[in-house]
Amino acid sequence: MVILGPNGSGKTTLLMILCTILKPTSGTAKVVGIDVVEEGTKVREVMGIAFQEARGFWRHKPSSILRFHASMFDIDPEKRQDLIERTMKDLELWESRDKMFMHLSGGQAKRLETAKVLIQRPKLAIFDEPTSQVDLRGKRKIWDKIRELRDQGSTIIVATNEVREAEYLADRVTILHQGQRVVCDTISKLKDAIAGGDIVEVDFEDPVSEKLADDLNGLGGDVSLSSDGNQLRAKVSKAEDWVPRMTSASYVAGAKISSIRITEPSLDDVFLHFTGKALADQP
Amino acid sequence: MNRVLTLAAYNVRILLSERTWFFLAWALFGLQIAVYGSLMSKLVSTAVPNYLFFYAIGLMVITVFDSGADVGRHFVEHAHEGELPYFLSLPVSRGGFLAAQAIYGVANTMIKVLPPLLGVLWFVGDLTIQGAVFALISMFLLGLGITGIMVSMSFIAFKSVDIYSAFLAGLSALIVRFSTVFYPLIFMPSFYSPISVFSPLTYGADLTRWVLGFDPNFLLNPILAAAVVTGVAVGTLSLSARIVDKVIEGVKAA
Repeated sequence: MVILGPNGSGKTTLLMILCTILKPTSGTAKVVGIDVVEEGTKVREVMGIAFQEARGFWRHKPSSILRFHASMFDIDPEKRQDLIERTMKDLELWESRDKMFMHLSGGQAKRLETAKVLIQRPKLAIFDEPTSQVDLRGKRKIWDKIRELRDQGSTIIVATNEVREAEYLADRVTILHQGQRVVCDTISKLKDAIAGGDIVEVDFEDPVSEKLADDLNGLGGDVSLSSDGNQLRAKVSKAEDWVPRMTSASYVAGAKISSIRITEPSLDDVFLHFTGKALADQP
Repeated sequence: MNRVLTLAAYNVRILLSERTWFFLAWALFGLQIAVYGSLMSKLVSTAVPNYLFFYAIGLMVITVFDSGADVGRHFVEHAHEGELPYFLSLPVSRGGFLAAQAIYGVANTMIKVLPPLLGVLWFVGDLTIQGAVFALISMFLLGLGITGIMVSMSFIAFKSVDIYSAFLAGLSALIVRFSTVFYPLIFMPSFYSPISVFSPLTYGADLTRWVLGFDPNFLLNPILAAAVVTGVAVGTLSLSARIVDKVIEGVKAA
């Protein structure tokens, strides 16, 4: 699950409530069926969080920080060192294992934050903007490790304001706006919910006849032809339904198609659709 | 319990990695006793027999107070360096978290106080296991009380560190000066002595002196002193447990 929202939309507050650091001012919150206010310690046993701001001990080394974290979550002492070493190597932290936390770069500190949750393998893993300050290569590594954790059975919650991160990680997306949940669904359903969200561009070998143009207009969506009649551009709700109908109509009319391009709406478009504002325009 | 100890052990390891401060604290203690304590002892020895011993115990009680204050500062530093939310996300109850802080505080206090205590007892020719153990227990209880006060006050730091620092400096000045750490209560003027009974250091210092065999005529009733020191420890630790559980929310301090 990815929680998508601009800065100040309440993502971090929600996560802090789930991991029992903040108390909800009203309502209830449960993590794997456990109430976060009534049984905070039990909640903390089953969840792990990688904070937005890396939380470290300034004068400690990454390996020591991870050993402490592993011991707090009862990771088998015999497997602990091997697990820490493997995770640090996976996240390209091994070379920095003897640096003090305060000497790590912002990206390294963020990777260390992720490493804590990876060695813990909690039932619920929370990542708050896991790749901010991380370079592109590092982002991909972190995303892959998060997906690996999901495949091993952990439930993942990622809060982000990066569309690409959300697209890469999300099974479902919750859009938060000004502290309110606007919508929650799978990415494909959210995109399909945008009327005219899919853009289909078709190139014909010859100009389209007037009759075919009328037939294509009758298929639904917003269809427009280029001035020379060779190119068609259609904004449709579900391209996977519209394209087969369009190819049948073209075949019947004897029109030859040279190429078809389908562009899906981005999550930014989805955000714009549901909140009326573009994600990138938010403060 | 195991996790509380793990957390406490980690904090204590941080403490031990800064051992230079301990050597400095011990050296300062020795210097203070050797110069100021011995001079003052000659000046007031007619009024208070063995004032050097009286003064040395007072100085140890101040060390206990400073160590307790250290725990409060340590707690606030956790918050302002962003570590508090991390600690609060660990699978330890809030009470357990506080207990780990208290264990850290006790370790800090004992490391700073034990060598001076043994040194002073040896110097005055009164070094017994019984005396050292009871003196440590007395200062341990006082240290818990001071830790409780400091952690309870730390919520001020979540509003403003400057106000917390100013408050702590003011509180330290009052608690130490208006107490019997340097002067017996019976010698204090009437406008001054009523204030002294509100300082926990008065009871901690006099109790420690009593268990080490100092003339009881110069001290408070030991039963009263023991009751107050224990009451302050239990009361302030309970209060700080409540504050950690109900008031402090790590993210606000980050």
